[in-house]
Amino acid sequence: MKVLIGVIATNKSEQLFILDNGQPVLVQANGDNLEEKFGNYPILKQHPLKINDEPMKGPGVFRFRYGPVTAGVREAGCFHLYTYGEKILRATIDISWKQREIAKAMQDKSPETALMMAERVCSNFAISHSVAFGRAVEMALDAVPSLPTKNWRTLLIESERIYNHLYVIYKLASAAAQKVLAAHVSALFEEALRLNENLTGSRYLMGINNIGRLNRMPTVTDIQKIAHGYRELAKKFTELYKHSLKNYNYLDRLHSAGTLTPAQADKLGLTGPSLRACGVMDDLNDATEHLISLPVITQKEGDALARMEVRAEEIVNSCRYLVDHLRASDSWNEAGKNDTEFAKTGGTGYVVVNSPSGALGYYVEVKESKMQRVEIFTPSYPGMHAVSHALEGLIFTDFPFVFESFGVHFADAAS
Amino acid sequence: MSQWWPLYGLKKKLTERKEYTSSVKLRLNTTGVFKRSLFVYIIDVGSSNALNFEISALEAPQYNIHRFGIFLTDSPRHADVLLILGHPVKKMIDPLRETILQLPKPFYTITIDDNPHQPDSVDYPELPNHIAALTGVPSPSQILGLLLDIAKTKRKES
Repeated sequence: MKVLIGVIATNKSEQLFILDNGQPVLVQANGDNLEEKFGNYPILKQHPLKINDEPMKGPGVFRFRYGPVTAGVREAGCFHLYTYGEKILRATIDISWKQREIAKAMQDKSPETALMMAERVCSNFAISHSVAFGRAVEMALDAVPSLPTKNWRTLLIESERIYNHLYVIYKLASAAAQKVLAAHVSALFEEALRLNENLTGSRYLMGINNIGRLNRMPTVTDIQKIAHGYRELAKKFTELYKHSLKNYNYLDRLHSAGTLTPAQADKLGLTGPSLRACGVMDDLNDATEHLISLPVITQKEGDALARMEVRAEEIVNSCRYLVDHLRASDSWNEAGKNDTEFAKTGGTGYVVVNSPSGALGYYVEVKESKMQRVEIFTPSYPGMHAVSHALEGLIFTDFPFVFESFGVHFADAAS
Repeated sequence: MSQWWPLYGLKKKLTERKEYTSSVKLRLNTTGVFKRSLFVYIIDVGSSNALNFEISALEAPQYNIHRFGIFLTDSPRHADVLLILGHPVKKMIDPLRETILQLPKPFYTITIDDNPHQPDSVDYPELPNHIAALTGVPSPSQILGLLLDIAKTKRKES
């Protein structure tokens, strides 16, 4: 399976950053029918900040602006919804309100400083950004981190996946007015953040990763307690989830909301749980060095319900994964040092990581131990395109189900 | 396992019973006006999203902010406090100013700057009744402690 992650323009030519069977590859663009090979090539090449920006006209059609200051979508982003009344005919999404140009600001910074900036691109994906950036720099400088570092990074990405997926399900339950379910899921969301803090000292797993090493290894004494915490979290969530699946009111609201076909998802370059909910078995797990392969969860319908179901199963799988490997982690700390040697002071690196919302790619150029160029390819950018297309033809009450079910964020899309 | 949602979780005691304190020094004197209830409107002017997640975590049953009379409101017109999340980006300065104009008096503004060293950034505009300025990503406990200080409400469960 080949997915176009990004287009990297240079002075003379263009390079395509592709995920080919789970491995990142840089290919020179030779101009041969790129739009046919990769449906999302025009989107990534032009990278519009106003997504699906084609005004719509018709009898009674007017443009309704929602944002950038709203209570429903708390982030600074703007929706321009074309409608004649109840139905959304087109949704233009303006992500420019949150643009901070962090990739540009990383230039001429040391890799360590740039890594701290990478964590702040979208802090709920902090460890995904941090690991992707760190591994890209390590590739550029020909550094191989120790086994404990690699193993812990894998576990921390799964910790991040758990709380992000709980957040999505909490927001979906709130949108569907399922207050009891929402309250219990939000309690689990808070529990997951506290487990993160117990494990790393940071609720959002920030400040723990570094270039070639971890800033600190999680302490072994608390590991058993934290593993128990994840086991209890999985047990409570499973009980809640089974209970929610009997609530036909809840299921009915999510069913057929924001349906995407596999062909549409492929054309938009969608990755992650939203793609897997369309029935496409992707190979993103191969992009991260896993200790064992996690099962790839898919559904078929491609609607908000399917996206929720994929996330629900991934929460349980990730919890089990953490429980098993946290208990074995005391042997890692003895296995290797937490230091890496850098063979070079410059080079090019490119890495893709399986973030909670899909493929997160970094392309870096390092020169004399300073960042020369950084390109960030986030899953929320194609995700916002998917939201825009999925909203067409739906009524306004379906808006939160579609937007929340994709798990996208303006901070991530507008990096 | 109970099949009826209203009974589900009745035996689970999720709400914490603890004192919420804040180390933030208030810049202004407070009044007892908000002792019974405090309505908070959230605006994101450029945060990295961790703060948005912390506000969502604040709504979790562990904190149960409603027992203190603290509510998040959907409109600045109904707000007593404007909670400004993130270091501002240039484009959000005007929407921030417009939002402040909607707040009825009396009101306070609080800023939480999660990235003070954000490159190419702008400063906050002049903020009226700016009662507290936090940096970093404070936990929900710290945010709740601050709101309780402003509301002059008892810290423990009332």
